[in-house]
Amino acid sequence: MPLETEARAQIRALVAEFRPEHGDLLAAMHKVQHHLGYLSREAMEVIADQLNLFAAEVYGAASFYEEFRFAPPAQTNIRWCSGPACRLKNGGGIRDALLATLGVSEIPADTEDGRVGVILGQCNGTCEIAPMVWLEQHSTHRIEPVGSLNAARAIRMARALRDGSTVEASIEEARRA
Amino acid sequence: MPDALERYDVLRTAADAEYAAWRNPERPRIDVALDQSSITNGALKTRDALERIARERNAVVDFGRVHGYGMQWVHPTVQITFPDGATVLYGPVREADAAAIIDEATGRWGAAAALRLGTITGERPGVPSIREHPFFALEPERRLLKNIGLTDPESLNHYIAQGGYRASARIFGRHLSEEIVRNTLNDAGLTGRGGANFPAGTKWGFLFGAPGTEHYLVCNADEGDPGAWVNRVVMEGDPHLLLEGMLIGAYGTKSTAGFIYLRDEYPLSIARMEAAIRDAEQAGLLGDDILGTGMSFHLRVIRGAGAYVCGDETGLLASISDERGMPRVKPPFPAARGALNKPSNVNNVETFANVPLIATHGSEWYREMGTKAQSGTKIFSFSGDIVRTGFMEVPFGVSLAKVLEACGGIEGGRALHAIQPGGPLGSLVPASALDKLILEPASFLPYDAMLGGGGIVFGSDRNNVLVLAEMFAEFVEEESCGRCTTCHGGNQRKTEIIRRVMEGDGRRDDEPNLMLIDKTIQFSNCAHGQLSPKSMRNVLQHFHAEYEAAMRGEDATLSLKGATRFRVAQPRDPRVEEAVAICPVAAFRGTPGARTIDEATCIHCQACTDVAPGAVVREAKPRAPRMVPIG
Ligand SMILES: Cc1cc2nc3c(=O)[nH]c(=O)nc-3n(C[C@H](O)[C@H](O)[C@H](O)COP(=O)(O)O)c2cc1C
Ligand code: SF4
Ligand code: SF4
Ligand code: FES
Repeated sequence: MPLETEARAQIRALVAEFRPEHGDLLAAMHKVQHHLGYLSREAMEVIADQLNLFAAEVYGAASFYEEFRFAPPAQTNIRWCSGPACRLKNGGGIRDALLATLGVSEIPADTEDGRVGVILGQCNGTCEIAPMVWLEQHSTHRIEPVGSLNAARAIRMARALRDGSTVEASIEEARRA
Repeated sequence: MPDALERYDVLRTAADAEYAAWRNPERPRIDVALDQSSITNGALKTRDALERIARERNAVVDFGRVHGYGMQWVHPTVQITFPDGATVLYGPVREADAAAIIDEATGRWGAAAALRLGTITGERPGVPSIREHPFFALEPERRLLKNIGLTDPESLNHYIAQGGYRASARIFGRHLSEEIVRNTLNDAGLTGRGGANFPAGTKWGFLFGAPGTEHYLVCNADEGDPGAWVNRVVMEGDPHLLLEGMLIGAYGTKSTAGFIYLRDEYPLSIARMEAAIRDAEQAGLLGDDILGTGMSFHLRVIRGAGAYVCGDETGLLASISDERGMPRVKPPFPAARGALNKPSNVNNVETFANVPLIATHGSEWYREMGTKAQSGTKIFSFSGDIVRTGFMEVPFGVSLAKVLEACGGIEGGRALHAIQPGGPLGSLVPASALDKLILEPASFLPYDAMLGGGGIVFGSDRNNVLVLAEMFAEFVEEESCGRCTTCHGGNQRKTEIIRRVMEGDGRRDDEPNLMLIDKTIQFSNCAHGQLSPKSMRNVLQHFHAEYEAAMRGEDATLSLKGATRFRVAQPRDPRVEEAVAICPVAAFRGTPGARTIDEATCIHCQACTDVAPGAVVREAKPRAPRMVPIG
């Protein structure tokens, strides 16, 4: 058993409520990621310990899901909707424009300075405002849907985020005609 | 000791009093529709503005909450319920409209006349019933959605006052045989709404007969099909309907514990289901010793994490059981090995939601709706290039052409081009089938198509059918769990080929190769692989001319990269400089007034035509007739 560091103790407290063979793994991973931003190696070890699993099993499960990360997230993530209503309204062009604007080649990716990321989003049934993205601010857990986009609006929004504007100001850029 | 029904009556009396006061409030009440769609459209901002203005003016008005009525294209909506019990629906209500709504509610009737959509109950002179709105022309009666707009979805008492939990109390109180409960479902013709259409009562029987006392009842609330939000409406609109269905299911399957596996993309559904579970437990309707019967049923929500194949019941059960959520071969079926390796049964949200209705009204009532082959009603969600996006509940068998009419037809005066039912494992059906299709699974079979879970997307002639085919190809490839090489590798290959065809580099061998991949993928473990080639097969079956044209580098819709280019048509138009500024890859060449676009740099994002339509155009790529290479 590795030394009980302060970080370890914190994670241990977070997952204390979870039990082995009780279907708690997803909940434990969600909770840790919510509080720490991602699943560190240390976190997966502590979760494994708590749930009577091998750390490899925890990583095996975690890496299966789109939602779990193994490195700190970008300050703001642009979650791009990959759904059909959005695609029919140039969702594909919007994706390509976002990637080009941020200078990254595929989803998921972060800008080099860690300011903005693009991640994969799934349709949640708000297709009346297609095409859309969600802006997710890591520090506040705030999620802002931005709908009725087109490629030009998406580019203005992504440029603003890239250049350090706030989420609000960037959304304003997207709303400009 | 009071029996279950007597205990229920005590709950009911209190609930009735509370609901009566809500239905006929002393002061007018403004209910803001709060559901995922409304909130996305700014409902919380609307509510804040309404509350602020009410405070500033000391307006004699209360606030409450409902679920949106189905008309998502006019979200956010609010409802005003007047002391006489009449309820009027308004939308779209933005922050700027808040004052008008407050005025309308507090005596200045007419202030929000322009925002009125119709009455939900009661009458108001000059306001039509919402039931007369063309969007609801195909809804003879709401059954699954009966409480939408008429209750606060977060109130257990409202659900009870509408007769909720009476059917379960009756079953427990009268000690109805579990077999009768299951047979009633089968008599009604209730089949699984998650896609496979298996008779629900029969499946419950498998778990009932399974060995041991630890049986798990599992609700599949993963609703992973993009374009489908049927389950979401149930969970956000009437969460106790699902809980009661599961409660009766627990009785019919001898389950003492259960899970609701809910996708992470539905945070409000998660919150409402968890709150509903807590409320039902506190009222003695869930947990231990339910209604004094000694029966126990413990329910928990498991939050998914973005894996489509966890919607497959074996993947879902693995995911609940702390494993990678990979589907596996059946048998063993869930009744033999399910959640935490115990006997289990999985049903879809909507399957469960039908159960209290059948238990209350009987199987004959249920069969009044629908067709001989498929009884009952179903919630559908409609989206894409249509005028009215939203959800409705229709009897099985309504005509799809009428549905499109109710949805206001295709937007922008365009023509219908492709119909996409059933999500990524579903189908692509040509516009020419519209008049022959009815909303019933069998109707789609002649097109080698699948109706699926309730999402239907209409695509216009603005897009080549390959745009949707590529989207689904990418989706099924991304979401393949990787267990079978056929599914994992086959879908990669398929996506590559489709992309190449779209980019104008199709080869003669592509079609036979696609067909070969299709045949090979059939040898995959689960339905994800087996159904994954369907949409591309449909393209070759129903849109062959369009595919052939793409092979030649032609595309009437001007949506394919390989067949189109962007060109500055009016170099002197001042907006061209805006296009230059917006281009994310600096594809423009030359000087102001003499701009051209470098085709090799352009990524076809359309930003230039967004800001300078007409000045910059997308047009067919002029090209010499193309010899299609073979290999
Ligand atoms: C890849 C894949 C994804 C699925 N996704 C869902 C889903 O999101 N919701 C659902 O109810 N069923 C889904 N199913 C079907 C389930 O495996 C299962 O048949 C269903 O939950 C059973 O419930 P029912 O009998 O009430 O329909 C999926 C199947 C496959 C192969
Ligand atoms: S068919 Fe695909 S999704 Fe299903 S088990 Fe095989 S690889 Fe996994
Ligand atoms: S389509 Fe996009 S990449 Fe091409 S020229 Fe226009 S703005 Fe630039
Ligand atoms: S397709 Fe993007 S929200 Fe539904």
